[in-house]
Amino acid sequence: MSPWLLGPVQASVALLLAPGLVGAVRWMKARLQNRRGSPPWQPYLELRKLFAKEVVVSNNASWLFRAAPFIVFGSTVAVTLLVPLLAVPLPFDGAGDLVVVVYLLLLGTFFLALAGLDPGSSFGGMGASREMTVAALAEPTMALAIFALAWGAGSTNLGQIAFRTLATPSEALAPGHLLAFAAIFVVTLAETGRLPVDNPATHLELTMIHEAMVLEYSGRYLALLEWAAALKLLIFFTLLGNLFVPWGVAVTLTPGALLWAVFTLALKLGALGGAVALVETHIAKLRLFRVPELLSASFILALLAVTASFLL
Amino acid sequence: MSVPFLTLLLPPLLAAAGALVLPPRRRAAGALHAALGLVPLLAALRLAALVLDGWTPTWGPTDLFRVDALSALLAGCVTFVAALVALLGPGFGREEHYTPSQVRRFRVFASLFAFTMLVAVTANNVGVMWIAIEATTIASAVIVPLTVSKASVEASWKYILIGSVGIALAFVGTVLGYFDFVTLVGRREYALNWTVLMANARVLHPPVIELAFVFILIGYGTKAGLAPMHTWLPDAHSEAPSALSAMMSGVLLAVALYAIVRWRAVVNAAVGPVFSDRLLIGLGLLSLGIAALSLVIQRQYKRLLAYSSIEHTGLMCLGLALGPLGVFAAMLHLVNHMLAKSMMFFLSGRILDRYGSPEISRVSGLLRVMPWTGGLFAAGMIALLGLPPFGMFLSKFTLVRAGFAGGQGWLMAAVLALLAVAFVSLLAHLNRMLYGAAPTGVRQGEGGGWGVVPLVACAAALVVLGLAVPAPVMELLERIVEIAGR
Amino acid sequence: MSPHLVSQLSVGGATLVLLAGLMMLWRRGVEAHIKAFTAQSVALAATTAMVGWFAGDWQLWAVAALLLLIKGIGIPILLQRMARRFGTERELEPYVNTATSLLVGGLLVLLAYVVTKPLVSVSQLPTRTGMPLAMGLVFVSLFVIISRKKALTQVLGFLMLENGIALLAVLGAHGIPIIVEIGVFLDVLLGFIVMQVFVYQIHETFESIDVEQLNRLRE
Repeated sequence: MSPWLLGPVQASVALLLAPGLVGAVRWMKARLQNRRGSPPWQPYLELRKLFAKEVVVSNNASWLFRAAPFIVFGSTVAVTLLVPLLAVPLPFDGAGDLVVVVYLLLLGTFFLALAGLDPGSSFGGMGASREMTVAALAEPTMALAIFALAWGAGSTNLGQIAFRTLATPSEALAPGHLLAFAAIFVVTLAETGRLPVDNPATHLELTMIHEAMVLEYSGRYLALLEWAAALKLLIFFTLLGNLFVPWGVAVTLTPGALLWAVFTLALKLGALGGAVALVETHIAKLRLFRVPELLSASFILALLAVTASFLL
Repeated sequence: MSVPFLTLLLPPLLAAAGALVLPPRRRAAGALHAALGLVPLLAALRLAALVLDGWTPTWGPTDLFRVDALSALLAGCVTFVAALVALLGPGFGREEHYTPSQVRRFRVFASLFAFTMLVAVTANNVGVMWIAIEATTIASAVIVPLTVSKASVEASWKYILIGSVGIALAFVGTVLGYFDFVTLVGRREYALNWTVLMANARVLHPPVIELAFVFILIGYGTKAGLAPMHTWLPDAHSEAPSALSAMMSGVLLAVALYAIVRWRAVVNAAVGPVFSDRLLIGLGLLSLGIAALSLVIQRQYKRLLAYSSIEHTGLMCLGLALGPLGVFAAMLHLVNHMLAKSMMFFLSGRILDRYGSPEISRVSGLLRVMPWTGGLFAAGMIALLGLPPFGMFLSKFTLVRAGFAGGQGWLMAAVLALLAVAFVSLLAHLNRMLYGAAPTGVRQGEGGGWGVVPLVACAAALVVLGLAVPAPVMELLERIVEIAGR
Repeated sequence: MSPHLVSQLSVGGATLVLLAGLMMLWRRGVEAHIKAFTAQSVALAATTAMVGWFAGDWQLWAVAALLLLIKGIGIPILLQRMARRFGTERELEPYVNTATSLLVGGLLVLLAYVVTKPLVSVSQLPTRTGMPLAMGLVFVSLFVIISRKKALTQVLGFLMLENGIALLAVLGAHGIPIIVEIGVFLDVLLGFIVMQVFVYQIHETFESIDVEQLNRLRE
């Protein structure tokens, strides 16, 4: 198979799996809390419903309000082309490395925050400012943590990093790697709006961060934003899984290897989803002024990861 | 060779044990304590004589204890002040404000304090030296709050915390020095011996030994009262009982300085004198400056004396950075300061007993109320100011001369200016205390019997050192300059 | 044990020790601090044992056992007793808030890395890779001592400082001579006991262990 075909294949696999991932996490959380919970494919049904619904836009909204869902969705899909989802090395490696990934994600966050401010509702503004507080601390942590891995691999290219860990398996347990894993795990919780930073299932506006920004959206716009959020979760899980535990990722582009890659990816996503569900069930949501403390702690972990990689 | 060492180190331990066991109020207990305090002084004099004859007495496995000229001088100072404390400390003679349990606690820990200081100056192993100096912090901190009050508790807490942290940093420096040696030569049992370090100093890695010295200077400098790590000193020395303050100001600072001198010798042998000189000048000048300026605003006479200690430690530090003549001046200054400061603190103890207040403003007419104490206090203050015929004049003059000879003209100008500031403020405070009418309710007349006699002896010694340094002392000081290296 | 593995384990052990130290900056309760110190001492003992195994030095095993006994079990028991007395006094508002403290802690670790560069470059031992982290712990402990307001936290900071120095000695020189090591242990233990007595004294005299109250002696 031509390597350039890998890009669209990766993107479509990600798009297909993402809502299922969110549903699976929700289902596991419900089971842990002794509830039956909605089936894992519920988000697919939700998306179908939303695409069919009418769009209602506030009178005060500008062009930004209509454009933002597309920008967010587009940038997130672009990231799926750059992460080692199914195979390494990636064909788009020349186009983007870890810095591009981090900033594409940040682009999405930025426009989402603007979209929250745009209609002029107070909840949107509140959500936007909170989101920026979280992002300000989470983004450098993310960059540092992956940089710790990049230092060992000798390149900031994500595919290259995964490839390197495949080549020298003992590096997977290096202190720098373990610390970076912990740091990125905390960042995942923060960036994807999970407990203890943000409760995805809350209906109380005063406790919302992500939900508050999309409060004004409806119909297909809301569908796009929800899908983008699910994609973001998938991307972070992919980074956690395939950068730190890269076994299963296809090195050649044969259909067999790719199918195996999809299978192992699904396993890793399931495991990480279970871990997140466990964490969410155990921890209460932090008060907002305590969130910077948590994120500072993860920043320090990332910093230590970098120094540990320097030292060895 | 074990007899001199045993007679030096064993009596303080026995004194501590005795004070623990015997009832403190009995005259016999006090007499035994005083006797056991005098024996180490004789032992130290014997060791000094041996050193002057050309011996270097050692004792213990891997030469754990070793006495050269520097150790002998400091052992003499420590035992002298410890003897004074044994004679004039709480519980011996005089009207006393201390309860028997306080007296017992003081005797036990003051003896342990003396013991640890003696171990510190006679140990050959810099690790054991460190252990002993840390132990001095612990032993002395226990008796700083002898009378529990908010002020004394605060002072003792600051002392033990800052002191222990400083000592820990000195330990970092010690570990780094050991690390350097081990990386070069390999692990040896005697690797931490000062003699071994000096012998191998030339091959030590410069950046590592320099880093080690920075930690050593900051660490032991905290114990010596160098700024900016000095903040514990005025509190601790003013709140402690006077006898303890005498020991702390007189000799503990000197012991910390001894540690710095030892390590400085190693560093200078490794990388040359410029590095340590710069650091010592910086810290010395800062201490001198802060102390001199703080002297102006002091309101309590014991704090005044404490800041004066910081000033003199700064001077000694500066002296160490001014070449061989400077080292000579610094060591002579150490002896003079020991005599003067201990005498002053004992006298301030008597003043506190009589007037009942630590404030300078409450003390007046000292010459009329207690003629001997007042006279000696004035003499001591004049000595601290650096005026002839007392010994400090000679050592300060030599120090300034060393500075000018070494081309440090501007530095000496700054030093002289700061000394002038200290001069004026100390003199002003002294005048306020000596003259004027005695406050009402204060009993007149010297009282206290023979307690003044040892202090007169101190003053006399200061005069002797000021007129003509005795030949044995001179010889010792010259040997020390050789040991301290260039 | 290959040198590379020893290097990795040294960095791993040193990281655990340092992380426990950073816990002191993050968490506020006394119990959390004591748990962090206990974990740190255990990690230190484990690292010492590992280096002892690698170097074939029985003295390090003895040191590790002492560490475990005194700092892993003995001192925490005494600390728990103090915590029961003063545990209700949480470190409410330190001089520097938590997020900033953590960032300063990170900067101090970087500073330690810079400071120990000459040390790492001269040493040949495979355990030298963990030395910057040990120095980082020394700096972080100093920061804890000067930025916290409760006397108990300051005592814990001092104990952690000693842990950091011990780690530095183990990783840099495979431990110091046994005589000195034992002397150091005794010193630290005695120092801790005296400090403990003082904290009780402070509490009796001032009715709290807030060191901000210790401000009567000025200039």
